[in-house]
Parts: sequence; structure tokens; C-alpha cells
Amino acid sequence: MKKRFDEKAIVLENRRINDRYYKLVFSSAPLSRNIRPGQFLHIRINEGQDPYLRRPFSYFRTSPGKVEILYEVLGRGTLILAEKSKGDPLMVMGPLGNGFRTAIGKRKRVLVAGGIGVPPLVNLAEQFSSDYLLIGTKSKAEILPMAELKKVKAKVLCATEDGSVGFKGFVTGVLEKVIREEDSRQLFIQTCGPKSMMKAVMAIAAKNGIEGEASWDESMACGVGACLGCMVDTKTGLKRACADGPVFSFSELVP
Amino acid sequence: MSVDLTTRIKNLKLKNPVTVASGTFGTSDEYAGYVDYKKLGAIITKTITVRPRPGNPMPRICEVSSGMLNAIGLQNKGLADFIEQKIPYFRKLGVPLIVSIAGESAGEFGLLAKTFDRFRSVVNALEVNLSCPNVESGGVNFMKKQKRILDAIKAVRCQTKLLIFAKLSPELGDVLEIADNVLKRGADGISVINTLRGMSIDINGRTSRIVRDFGGLSGPAIKPVALRYVYQVKKEFGVPVIASGGISDWRDAVEFLIAGADLLAVGTSNFVEPRATMEILKGIRVFCRKEKIKSIKEIRGSYRPRDQKGKGCSR
Ligand SMILES: Cc1cc2nc3c(=O)[nH]c(=O)nc-3n(C[C@H](O)[C@H](O)[C@H](O)COP(=O)(O)OP(=O)(O)OC[C@H]3O[C@@H](n4cnc5c(N)ncnc54)[C@H](O)[C@@H]3O)c2cc1C
Ligand SMILES: Cc1cc2nc3c(=O)[nH]c(=O)nc-3n(C[C@H](O)[C@H](O)[C@H](O)COP(=O)(O)O)c2cc1C
Ligand code: FES
Repeated sequence: MKKRFDEKAIVLENRRINDRYYKLVFSSAPLSRNIRPGQFLHIRINEGQDPYLRRPFSYFRTSPGKVEILYEVLGRGTLILAEKSKGDPLMVMGPLGNGFRTAIGKRKRVLVAGGIGVPPLVNLAEQFSSDYLLIGTKSKAEILPMAELKKVKAKVLCATEDGSVGFKGFVTGVLEKVIREEDSRQLFIQTCGPKSMMKAVMAIAAKNGIEGEASWDESMACGVGACLGCMVDTKTGLKRACADGPVFSFSELVP
Repeated sequence: MSVDLTTRIKNLKLKNPVTVASGTFGTSDEYAGYVDYKKLGAIITKTITVRPRPGNPMPRICEVSSGMLNAIGLQNKGLADFIEQKIPYFRKLGVPLIVSIAGESAGEFGLLAKTFDRFRSVVNALEVNLSCPNVESGGVNFMKKQKRILDAIKAVRCQTKLLIFAKLSPELGDVLEIADNVLKRGADGISVINTLRGMSIDINGRTSRIVRDFGGLSGPAIKPVALRYVYQVKKEFGVPVIASGGISDWRDAVEFLIAGADLLAVGTSNFVEPRATMEILKGIRVFCRKEKIKSIKEIRGSYRPRDQKGKGCSR
């Protein structure tokens, strides 16, 4: 079994970076090593009982001794997380989950990200050369700042629902354009974001005979496969998003 | 000073009282790397049913104040798979094993008991789950007819010499009355409490935050209720008691010991602190050393009601 940790990490930095995301950096040597993009951390936000359960967050970036996560404030847990400041301790479990496929042969890698699916795919695109990173958001103000995308080894294309930058409409529109311009048999898609987006991506992939994988996030309690709270329906039966996933191949997922 | 944590339940000798609550610890090595399994006093398995059960659709869990609701729905791979895949694993592991079982009829309970009786070299006891809130047939509503509970216990007793614990919750009715009846029908001990039924509403969608209207409430939120039943069952009947309900740290553990618990089943807390069982074990030892307690027998059941004589409202 791969080595997993539960470490007391110390917050080094925690700030809002735009309309949508906060970035938190913490120090921990063991948690910063041997990570696969798409793996996640399970964070105990407070010592007490509010919030009670841990919250899962993808690895966004690692450097020796340091880990970065990128998060959206959606509810009580992330609201409390946003109040952490330098020096605060956090109990962090990780690395958990399987992560994305990194070897995809000669195929071109197309990453399709939305919302909280952006961090793991930026992580993938920084470490493994990809051809496209497609990001969908509501408007320009929500797109990850350029500074955070500098190290991405891929052509970044954005779609905004209001057309304030890039393609106007959903990210799936950009995906269809890429598919038209490329030899679709040579593509491999990896996606993470809202379920509705991932389902639309999978439908397009199926129509064009393109293989790929999706990081299928479910709410989690244990994060290690013990509670059966995070099940995903697959063609080979129910699987645990936390322990058997969160990444599943398109061909495995039941549409 | 070494502290004697050994715990004896009839003919079963355990090296300590710390175990894990059914359904909260996976089915094999999910906590490897966090927990030294060999240090656990015993392991209680996820509830096993005769046939495989897919469980409920998602979402199955949500957080509530100081706890969580779950509607897992007894997802498990069934009896045959357990015998084939898990018995060899647990035999090798060598940690005392308490298998949790649930049936939809007395016949099924009997079959489960009969099957596990054949593995008495690996299985040390059965916990008969009579109180799952998340399934229809065989669940807490079904079992509300006390005759079904009693038939289940009778069927299990007929088929096995293994120790039998009946797992109850106040959702079934009067816990003490039911405990009395199951003990009379051959149960050796009582396990209290299973989850309590609770509800949580998504105010935007105006519907339940989990797939069913109600789910099983667990965690620190139910600890006072669990403690009360452990105390009452122990006091009333003096039988072995497995405690579960919000045990999160060594202080909780000591509290339950004082109330009379024989085994301390750590549940939801495993999700929050994967090393909870190990920390609790360590904490109990440290506490005993500090208090110069040589054996946990000195604490177990040591609760004393307050002396109320002459104590009115005035100070
Ligand atoms: C493997 C994995 C990786 C994740 N990575 C990130 C990440 O890198 N950055 C990030 O911001 N978030 C990530 N999430 C989601 C994050 O865990 C949730 O946003 C967080 O738990 C919300 O907690 P809360 O207490 O603030 O909100 P809650 O009160 O728990 O929920 C608030 C709202 O968020 C929604 N929500 C809760 N959990 C999820 C989820 N898993 N997926 C989608 N919506 C959810 C709820 O339905 C609700 O509408 C990830 C989730 C998983 C399972
Ligand atoms: C996710 C989850 C799954 C559970 N599954 C079972 C089960 O299969 N059988 C059972 O008897 N109890 C089950 N329980 C109840 C626990 O064993 C325990 O009795 C209860 O949660 C109270 O303890 P706790 O507050 O420490 O969790 C489950 C509880 C949770 C949270
Ligand atoms: S979160 Fe517990 S099994 Fe996945």
C-alpha cells in the first residue's frame, strides 16, 4: 500500500486571489512528495466539532516541503478555512485517491476544467505536457489569474458564459472546436468540474470516439474507503470515489 | 507502571476494550498506515446480509451539528463473498472478530449464524444488527414489531454457540424492555446505540440533503444518549455491553467505562481522526497511570449517582 500521512501542517499563506478562488499554502514535507496529479488531501479544518468532518481538496501545486491548494468558499467549512492565517495548524491527510493517468502514449492531452476542477488539472498541466487546457467559468473575473497559469505546459483556452473573455458560452463549445481542428482519434480527454459539465464532456467524447477520464468528486466522510458514503456507479459495480477514484475512465462510468 | 487493559467477556479474552463500530472501519485494510490493527482489542465488521446489497443511491451522507447523517443502506457484498474474501484476511490478521449480521427474516438470521458458527476459529462473536435506520425490510421500522426481534435472536441462538450481542437503538421502542426480552431469548450482551434517525433540509432545494428523508445520526451529537443507555443497560442487567455513540477521545472512552461499557466501539470519529482508536488507547493508559489505576476493572461501572440528600435549590 502506498504511504499515506496525517500531518500537522502549518499555514504559510492564505489569501483570496480573485472573485472565485482562495489559495492556501501550508508546510509539510511528507505531503509534498510523490504526488500524482488528481490525488487529494483530506483536511480537518478545526480541532473541535465545527466543522466536524474533514473536507477534501485536490493538490494544486507542490514544492519541496510545501503544498498549495486552491479553493472556493461554498459553505461553512470553506468559510472557516478562509479565515486561517499564517502560523495556524491544520491536520491534513494525504495523498489520497488514485490520480490521473499520466502516460497516454502519443495522444494529445486535452484537459477540460470548470470550478473546483481547475486546481487538479492545472497541477497535471504543470507536470505533464498537455496540448490544451480548456477552462470554463461564468465571467472574466472568475478565471484563474495569469500568474497562476504561467507554468502550465499547454495552450490555455477559456470560455466564459457572459463572453467577457475568450469563447462565449460553455467550455464544451471550445472542446467541440478543438475536436474539429484536431484528429479526434489522437486525443485523450481529462476532465474535472461540475457533474453537468463532465457529463456533457463525456457525451461529446462518446460521439467522437475519444477516450478519457473524469475526476468524479462526491461528498466524503472518511476519504479512505471505509464509510461507503461517496459511491460512484460504474460498469463494474459501485466504486468508492475516495479510494477507487476519484479518477475513473469514461468507459467505466455509467452515463 | 503497566496498566491492565484486558477485558473479559464471558469466555472471550481481549487485550483491551477498544474496538471499531460496525460500518465505520471498512472491510479490510482501509486504515492501514494510520492504525496498527493488531493493537485493537477487537474488530466489528460492517453488517453482513445473506445476499449482496447495493445500498442507497447518492447522496448518502451530510454533516450536521457535531455529527453526520448517513443513509448508506447496508451496502455489502453478501455472505458468500465475506466467507470467501474476508474470512481468510481476518484469519491471517489474528485480531478478535465480531461479525455484524442482519437479516430480513428469522430464517436469514439463522442462516447467517449457522454459517459463521463454522468459522469459530476466526469469528469470536456476532453482533445482531436490529436497528439499521436506512433499509426497509430488516431495518428499524421492520423490527419495531418486537416479535420479529425476538424471533431473530431465537433463530441466531439456535444456530450458534458464539457470543451474541443484540444491537439496539431507542428507535425500536423501549430499549430496556427490548434488552430484557432479547437477553431472555439467549443474547449474551447488548450493543448500544445504533444511530438515531435525524433529518437535514437543503433550504434552497427544500428537500433532504441526503437521498432519504431521514438518515442515521452519529458522532458527538448522540454521545449523551448513548452514555445513558450504556449505563442503564449495565445497571439493570449486568450483562456485557458494547458502547457506541460519539466516542471520540480518551475522555469519552473513560466516561463510557465508568458508565459500565465492556467494549468501546469507535465509529464516526475514525472518519475525522483516522488514528482515533490508537489515540484513545494511549489516552486511557496515560489516564490510568496518572490516577494510579492498575486495571481498568477499577473504573468499569464505577459510576456513583450524586447524593441528593439535603440538596435543594438553595446554595
Ligand atoms: C476529491 C475532491 C477534490 C476536491 N478538490 C477541491 C479543490 O481543489 N478546491 C475546492 O474548492 N473544492 C474542492 N473539492 C470540493 C470541496 O471538498 C467542497 O467544496 C467542500 O467540502 C465544501 O465544504 P463546505 O463546508 O464549505 O461546504 P458544504 O456546506 O459542505 O457544501 C456547500 C456546497 O458545496 C457543495 N459541495 C460540497 N462538497 C462538494 C463536492 N465534493 N463537489 C462539489 N460540490 C460540493 C454542496 O453540495 C453545497 O452546495 C473537492 C472535492 C473532492 C471530493
Ligand atoms: C457511515 C456509517 C455506517 C454505518 N453502518 C453500520 C452498519 O452497517 N451496521 C451497524 O450495526 N451500524 C452501522 N453504523 C452505526 C455505527 O456502528 C454506530 O453504532 C453509530 O454510528 C454510533 O457511533 P458513532 O457516533 O461513534 O459513530 C454506521 C454508522 C455510520 C456513520
Ligand atoms: S468517503 Fe468514505 S468511502 Fe469514500
